Amino acid sequence: MVRQVGSTTALPLAEKWRAEFNKARPEVEIAVSGGGSGTGIKALISGTAEIANSSREIKEKEIEQARAAGVEPVEHVVAHDGIAVIVHPSNPLTELTVEQVSSIYAGLSTDWGQVGAAGMGEIQVVSRDSASGTYEAFKELVVTLDGTDKGREYAAAALKQGSNQAILALVSRTRSAIGYVGLGYLDESVRALRLKPLAGEEAVAPTVENVVSGEYPVSRPLYCYTNGEPMGAVGEYLDWIKGPEGQAIVEELGFVPVTR
Amino acid sequence: MKARAARAWEWLIERAIQAAGAAAIIFVVLIFVFLLRDALPAVRDTAIGGLLAGKTWLPTAEPPKFGLLPLILGSLYVTVGALIISVPLGVACAAFISEVAPAWLRETLKPTVEMLATIPSVVFGFLGLLLVGPWLAERLGLPVGLFAALGSVMLALMAMPTIVSVSEDAIRSVPTALRRNSLALGATQWQTIWRVVLPAARTGIVAAVLLGLGRAIGETMTVLMVTGNAAVIPHGVEGFLRPVRTMTATIAAEMGETAHGTSHYHALFAIGLLLFVITFLTNTVAHMAVRRSSRMR
Repeated sequence: MVRQVGSTTALPLAEKWRAEFNKARPEVEIAVSGGGSGTGIKALISGTAEIANSSREIKEKEIEQARAAGVEPVEHVVAHDGIAVIVHPSNPLTELTVEQVSSIYAGLSTDWGQVGAAGMGEIQVVSRDSASGTYEAFKELVVTLDGTDKGREYAAAALKQGSNQAILALVSRTRSAIGYVGLGYLDESVRALRLKPLAGEEAVAPTVENVVSGEYPVSRPLYCYTNGEPMGAVGEYLDWIKGPEGQAIVEELGFVPVTR
Repeated sequence: MKARAARAWEWLIERAIQAAGAAAIIFVVLIFVFLLRDALPAVRDTAIGGLLAGKTWLPTAEPPKFGLLPLILGSLYVTVGALIISVPLGVACAAFISEVAPAWLRETLKPTVEMLATIPSVVFGFLGLLLVGPWLAERLGLPVGLFAALGSVMLALMAMPTIVSVSEDAIRSVPTALRRNSLALGATQWQTIWRVVLPAARTGIVAAVLLGLGRAIGETMTVLMVTGNAAVIPHGVEGFLRPVRTMTATIAAEMGETAHGTSHYHALFAIGLLLFVITFLTNTVAHMAVRRSSRMR
């Protein structure tokens, strides 16, 4: 039995991996569930999961706890994911600098007029809840400007939603909202903004190609953690995930493969 | 021989019932002890004044801030709003069902209202999120369809069955002689209900309101879905039209991701302890109110 638990961002990937792997190897029993990156790592530590999915790197504190429980977490990068910044389709903006997005999320810019969309009113900032790897990754990459301004923090007034779909749905119904979702979740109900890494540079659209080339500024790896080097069924499954078949699914679902 | 066996059996049954009774108390005490054990380190990390009066809840910031004030006020706004809507509506509904409605209507109304209680809270959350929220936001000119009063409206719907059902029982148990006397003295039906029947049933109505309060303050799923979960301190009446974050929603949203033994983990337990204390006090006050008004009768 292989139990794979964690990141909700990686959940559609994990479900599809399981389904396709079981077509070839029906005798390997795989159980997939979500709950968030931290939940997955907790499950790995407590021995209730063989694979922890995480959309952020494991924290020092978690490694300490794992070792105390006799678990040695081993990291595997299984895909990359871009985080797209989205607005309502009626919003006149098509691009922003990373600094502008950061100042919106830190509560320094509160009116659309301050970032070049006068008349759109007060900005309704939508964020994932702190129980999310995407929340951590977005804070690291955007809000703190890739760690260069550690003093910046999410504004308390940000609306918190529990999943990528919830953010997508809320932004698609709210004219003055801004949100962020994983690339794989984008659809035509919202507009994904092109981002400029720095003012004056060219704006880059959130696409798989631009994440692969490294031009799109907001992307992060998706991880699987195992207890020690994976053996037996777990090892076979992870090799398959990192192999051509697993990575084809990564691309099919709008994530970015690691082998390219 | 037979008699002795029967006595032994009796003794056994008595002990079993005693144990069951004691178990209920033991469970409550154990829950309190476990909450306290995991909540106390939070008080050590952040002074109790800092916890209760701290104005910022940013548990994953560096350094983290564990101010509970926005969460306490968020819960207060949503709950008070729910009571403002559900108490007058619920008591009036109960009075109508028991005093005014003809028998056939009563037989359909009460089960219909009680049906509301069987709807899962996540369904109320969905209705609020997709129907009531956007509709209200458009009518009130709000920028976003997630705000405190929306939580109040949904919680009011959920508390209605409790309030109607318990108040109706209380109103119905008012002796018929009181009504007849009042009517015989020339009072109208309205005067009889307002001045005689409702005051006579106040014990049960207080119990109904407090049960409704308990339902509202402890509800999690619905408020998590419809109140926006922004940890800001609400101000004045306008606060009802702004997003808030309640204590219950905070625990539900954050516990899954919190590493065991961190100060964030203990702070969430401190919120749990606070909720426990609040419901405990509500119950105690309810019992005192019930005892006092039954003495006065």
